[in-house]
Amino acid sequence: MFSTIFNKKSISASGVIGLNERNIKLIYPNNPKKHYPLADNKILTKEILHRYDIPCAKTYAVVEYNKDIKEAWKSCNQYNSVAIKPANGCGGDGIKILKKDKKGNWTNHGEMITDRQVFQHMASIIMGFFSLGSHDKVLIEECIELHPFFYDIYPQGIPDFRIITLDKTPLMGMLRMPTDKSDGKANLHQNGVGIGIDMKEGRLLEVYNGKKYSNHHPDSTFLVNGTPIPYWKEILEISVATARAFPLNYLGIDIVIDKNKGPQIMEINVRPGLEIQLVNKTGLKEIIKRAI
Amino acid sequence: MNLKTNLKISLTLIITIAIISIGLKVKPILNNFDNFNPEKVYKINYRFFFKSGDKSISLKTYIPKNNIRQRISRENIKNDTTLSFVRKEEIGENIRAIWKTNAKNTYHSVDYEFVFEGKDRNYSIPKVFNIASGKYRKYLKPTQNIQSDHEMINELAAQLKQNTQTDKEVIKNIFDYVYAIPSAPIITLTDAVTTIKQNRASCNGKSRLFVALSRNLGYPARIKGGIIVENTEKRTSHAWAEVLINETWVSFDALNNHFGYLPANYLELYQGDKSLITHTSGIQFDYTYKMDQIHHISFLKMNTEEIHNLPGFSLWHLIDKNVIPLATLHLLLLLPIGGFLVAFLRNVVGLQTFGVFLPVLIAFSLLHTGFISGIAIFTGLIMFIGLISYPFDKLGLLYTPKLVISLTIMVSVILLATHFGIKHNIAWLTKLTFFPIIILTISAERFSRSTLEDGYIKAIDKLFQTLITTAISYLILSWSWLPSVLVLFPEITFLIIALSTLLGRYIGIRWVELFRFKPLLKAEK
Repeated sequence: MFSTIFNKKSISASGVIGLNERNIKLIYPNNPKKHYPLADNKILTKEILHRYDIPCAKTYAVVEYNKDIKEAWKSCNQYNSVAIKPANGCGGDGIKILKKDKKGNWTNHGEMITDRQVFQHMASIIMGFFSLGSHDKVLIEECIELHPFFYDIYPQGIPDFRIITLDKTPLMGMLRMPTDKSDGKANLHQNGVGIGIDMKEGRLLEVYNGKKYSNHHPDSTFLVNGTPIPYWKEILEISVATARAFPLNYLGIDIVIDKNKGPQIMEINVRPGLEIQLVNKTGLKEIIKRAI
Repeated sequence: MNLKTNLKISLTLIITIAIISIGLKVKPILNNFDNFNPEKVYKINYRFFFKSGDKSISLKTYIPKNNIRQRISRENIKNDTTLSFVRKEEIGENIRAIWKTNAKNTYHSVDYEFVFEGKDRNYSIPKVFNIASGKYRKYLKPTQNIQSDHEMINELAAQLKQNTQTDKEVIKNIFDYVYAIPSAPIITLTDAVTTIKQNRASCNGKSRLFVALSRNLGYPARIKGGIIVENTEKRTSHAWAEVLINETWVSFDALNNHFGYLPANYLELYQGDKSLITHTSGIQFDYTYKMDQIHHISFLKMNTEEIHNLPGFSLWHLIDKNVIPLATLHLLLLLPIGGFLVAFLRNVVGLQTFGVFLPVLIAFSLLHTGFISGIAIFTGLIMFIGLISYPFDKLGLLYTPKLVISLTIMVSVILLATHFGIKHNIAWLTKLTFFPIIILTISAERFSRSTLEDGYIKAIDKLFQTLITTAISYLILSWSWLPSVLVLFPEITFLIIALSTLLGRYIGIRWVELFRFKPLLKAEK
């Protein structure tokens, strides 16, 4: 063990960035703490995205107080599908996707949901149930319809692209996909998989499940390695536009592709994880050196 | 940039001053290094008052001497001029102090003062003993009060020897029997046989019976007399027994349950079935033993004055003047060290813990509870509270009220366990109150949340890492010299600020990341 610890050469040659170096070299100097809410609060994030006309899900309503819940929900009746999210939620907790069935009733995961249940959910968001007890706001927005590209690889859950930008330059990217074991979530810590991306060509690389690399998604036979990513140019463009719009210089930007509207920004992250290095089999330091 | 340079300069300055200040003290401290390492130091004063009658009288008592576990120094005798003083070495290793006077019908007082430094001694007892040489024959013979040849002793000894395989078992049986006799504060002389008959005895009856039984079965044994030193004034002395095992006299105190062990605060005064004070009969006599604990640094041969006069800065005056209770001062001084240790384990090694300083605080609790039982209690409490708060998580309660529920359950569990432990005499259960309850509750809460968010495997993994961190903290904090070193060198606290600044700038890969990024590191080789 100690031979690995003190083998400085192999560490520096691999160009891997650890948590200490990420914090000191990338996050602290590039992301001023006072601007963190712009990324942590989805409502603030979207305000800026809307202001700069960067594509993202349309905001239907923001609810701050219980008394406004009914009114807001009434105004949403004109849409066929909505996503209800806590502004400060983390890890995808508290997100509900609601769709109207043929008869015009709201459903969640194919089951009918009453207005009262919707109100209750919004009330618990406001009470801070998904944000550790502090008061929160409800964000009701347009529901993204996934591009068929994702269904080819794996048809369930909500996948997304993660693009790392430093000084407004996209450095590294990956596609995160749910699996049968991940309960619809694409997070690598929750049994999702990460797929490396060739940033120049806009093609998918190998699939990494936290232990092994392969050419397939673990629950599908579709050949992932080498598949071109649709709208790749646009994905890079909106990443750069987003990085320009925020006073945060080191970001993890989450993007999905909508069937009709193309790439959309989902959210941005000021403390992006380091797993992306493993997914792409490359150290971040190496990439940063090449980019500068 | 300017701020950075300023910080650098002030840090360098702090380090330099601290190192110079430490350097000044190192030499005198090393010169006075003490191998004896006493655990307890007391100033002890025998005070005797008496009125002589119409003939010459004498007063005799035993005074201590040095051995491997006790050191006597600064002897000081104050008595009125009409008294003559002699010190007499008796056959059988005892030293006696004798005061005599011819003055009639006068009041006299004697102050015999000395400093006692003691440490405990743990004897390892072999299973089978060598046969003792002939010169110890007298320690096998019966005496008036140790009737080792009495029929009742014969019978009891034979009974205790039954079904034993080794000498150690025999001694253990004798010890257990004598220990089980109910203790009673009987001041009058109780001999060995009476002790069996009345099945009730104080130290003198118990030690005589222990010696009688040992002698009966062929183990040379003797009475040992002394004082259990405490920070008080008292009149009681103490007696225990010694058995000769392979040329070593091994201590057994069947009153206070010390089997082959002599605590640090036992002052040894004499051997043999004697009384500590004897005086001419028919005089008015009173006495007391006054004992005061002295603050000391175990590895230093210096007294308070000398430590005060050390060059540079030390915290000795805080101890000496009793400004802060000693335990509190130690805790305060150890906190930064413990904190730094946790910072190192988190940022360099990469261990994850529930609560940043929880491991340090738990390590402190372990100093009171003992390591193994403490770790077991800690893990038990965390898991138990985590488990109990699970249904409340499912209920969908808000965070703070849920925390109150966990806290309340934690307090109830601790109180119930303590109650149960005292009632049924289960020592480890009574120690739960040593734990920092609120921090423990919050950690239990984090543990239960972690089982929900990351799954129980990850949560237990993190708990395990918390335990490792706690164990390492305990290992370092339990080093008995550490508090004294920090009292002598409080500059170390400043060095910790400097070291933490360096640690705060550390950008190397954490050791656990070496395993996390193994595929990447390998690829480059």
